[in-house]
Amino acid sequence: MSKQAPGVRIDGLTVVYKTTAGELPAVRDVSLTLEPGSITGIVGESGSGKSTLALSLLNAVQPPGRISAGSVEIDGLGDVVGLRGEQLRKARGKHIGYVFQAAQNSLNPLKTVGKQLLDLGRSHGVEDLRGLVREARELLGRMGLDGARVLDSHQHELSGGMRQRVGIMLALVLNAHVVVLDEPTTALDMITQANILKIVREVHAERGLTTLVITHDIGVVAEVADRLAVMYGGRLVEQGPTREVLGSPRHPYTKGLIRAIPRLVGDIDEAQALPGRPPTLATVPKQGCVFRERCALRMDVCDDVDPEAVLQGTRTVACHAVTVKEHA
Amino acid sequence: MTVIARRLAGHLARGVVMILVVATISFFIVRSIPGDPVAANVQKLIEQGMAPEAAEQATRVLYGFQPKGTLWQQYVDYMGGLLTFDLGQSVTHAGAPVTDVLADAAKWTVLPVLAGTLLSFLVGIVMGVYAAIRRSGKLGDVLAISGSLLHGVPQYVLGLLLSAIFATLIPILPADGPVDILFEPGFNAGYIGSLVEHAVLPVATYALAAYGGWILAMKSSVVTVLGDDFILAAELRGMKRSIIFRYIARNAILPLFTILALSLGLLLGGAVFIERIFNYPGLGLLLIESITMRDYALMGGAFLLITMAIIVANIVADLFYSVIDPRVRSGEEVSA
Repeated sequence: MSKQAPGVRIDGLTVVYKTTAGELPAVRDVSLTLEPGSITGIVGESGSGKSTLALSLLNAVQPPGRISAGSVEIDGLGDVVGLRGEQLRKARGKHIGYVFQAAQNSLNPLKTVGKQLLDLGRSHGVEDLRGLVREARELLGRMGLDGARVLDSHQHELSGGMRQRVGIMLALVLNAHVVVLDEPTTALDMITQANILKIVREVHAERGLTTLVITHDIGVVAEVADRLAVMYGGRLVEQGPTREVLGSPRHPYTKGLIRAIPRLVGDIDEAQALPGRPPTLATVPKQGCVFRERCALRMDVCDDVDPEAVLQGTRTVACHAVTVKEHA
Repeated sequence: MTVIARRLAGHLARGVVMILVVATISFFIVRSIPGDPVAANVQKLIEQGMAPEAAEQATRVLYGFQPKGTLWQQYVDYMGGLLTFDLGQSVTHAGAPVTDVLADAAKWTVLPVLAGTLLSFLVGIVMGVYAAIRRSGKLGDVLAISGSLLHGVPQYVLGLLLSAIFATLIPILPADGPVDILFEPGFNAGYIGSLVEHAVLPVATYALAAYGGWILAMKSSVVTVLGDDFILAAELRGMKRSIIFRYIARNAILPLFTILALSLGLLLGGAVFIERIFNYPGLGLLLIESITMRDYALMGGAFLLITMAIIVANIVADLFYSVIDPRVRSGEEVSA
């Protein structure tokens, strides 16, 4: 039953949204590899395109958006961008699990969790529905819940942390091995956050998953992710092993983000907010570096030429200033 | 199940209290309307040249009506009668019991209104779902515009229009009462056929008048549900389309059941114009008639019946809601 954790290769992915000003890119030319069995974290501000990127993994970008270029190759499944209709539907849930933000109501309010579990099983042609229920109960029990009781509950009878665990259960119960968690701990209290992250880490290891965590909270990434990718204005500006990126950030945006974190010890004023505001879909530059408006290292070349993502050791950075320094 | 039974008991108790309050209010309001039908009749007879004594006597014989006691005494008698479903006697219907007169009229209101409302509800919600799903296309526009237009036209205008077109311009349907008097009332093909034929226009009027509201309400409800997170979540879990459609439909239809139950209650009294246009001797016409004739007992009875319909509709809506919506159900459990 248990498969090898699959790898995921996102290559040159561009997602555009149709607006009155034409089709504007929310994600532009993003390439990212999720190594089999790894946890990758994507951090970015609101509007950086991280959720759009997450939905692209299931080829589920909602209209008026669409994937206009690139591919998402998943081992054992092929290019998800090319999947249509029933093939795509069956891939969702069975191969790729998606866990919603805890604050979102991802359950039908009129049906018990158990009935929705059966709907899920029937949708995917599961013949042994009893086995499915048993598996769900075990998963919930594994996450510290009374499985039988939760399956018999409606959404409004569950707390935020319980709902999130139900979401994780529904994402995994069909034995999906690629799991996308979109803001898994947003709107949860600190204790529950820590609990959920612990569960994510443990379940990830036990079931042999390849996991992608989307968050705006660097703390969450530091907690769970092996690798970290930083998004800004629809571009991936820096990626690498979590420790290295957080320990010695190279891209000016990553540096700015880390400088903005207040320390537990020392002067609170040492934390410096990044000046300026992130671009929106309409204000993001059409050419050149997306970060230049807020960048201290801005050069002439930044206005016209897109910085390419350059591999530097274990790290990939897309910045003219960093690249120049390396080559100088 | 016990939760629902307890709920029902609570509602019934509240309903009975409400009905008693309404009966009291309508009793006093009706009697505070100026004018006295018996005195009016006596006056009329005197003017026709009858002696006062004889006129009074004749009036009493005519109505079978003996005003007795004070207002308080009348009230106590009235409420006492209520308990045995005795609403008194109608003055205008030559002493027939009010309950009989009401029951007779009710059948001409309840059946067409029920048929029209259910028809418009079914067609309206189905069209509403399409209007929502195809809201960015031509079909959606056409449906939404048809809904807005029909919703904006008053019921009586629709009734007049249908009557003018189908009973006068192209006389293919009757608009002259509930049934053709040629047929023997009873369970025979001719009579029932005639009933149905005569019901077409009024039922169509009720249906068309309500249809616009249903389609618009259902459309907006479906659009709201479509934007809910759990629909996207179901899609991302790879749920079958048919299952997702059921999720949408069941969640979207929920608020409409309340409106349905309430409108059924309201329509009982709101059919005055339609009944006049199509000559249906229903409750609406009866109410108007009782007011112009100052038939106290009948007036009070009609008010009471209309109020009771609304109260019962409320109870039904609420009970039904607790059956179909688990959130309402468990809310009761907690407080019990």
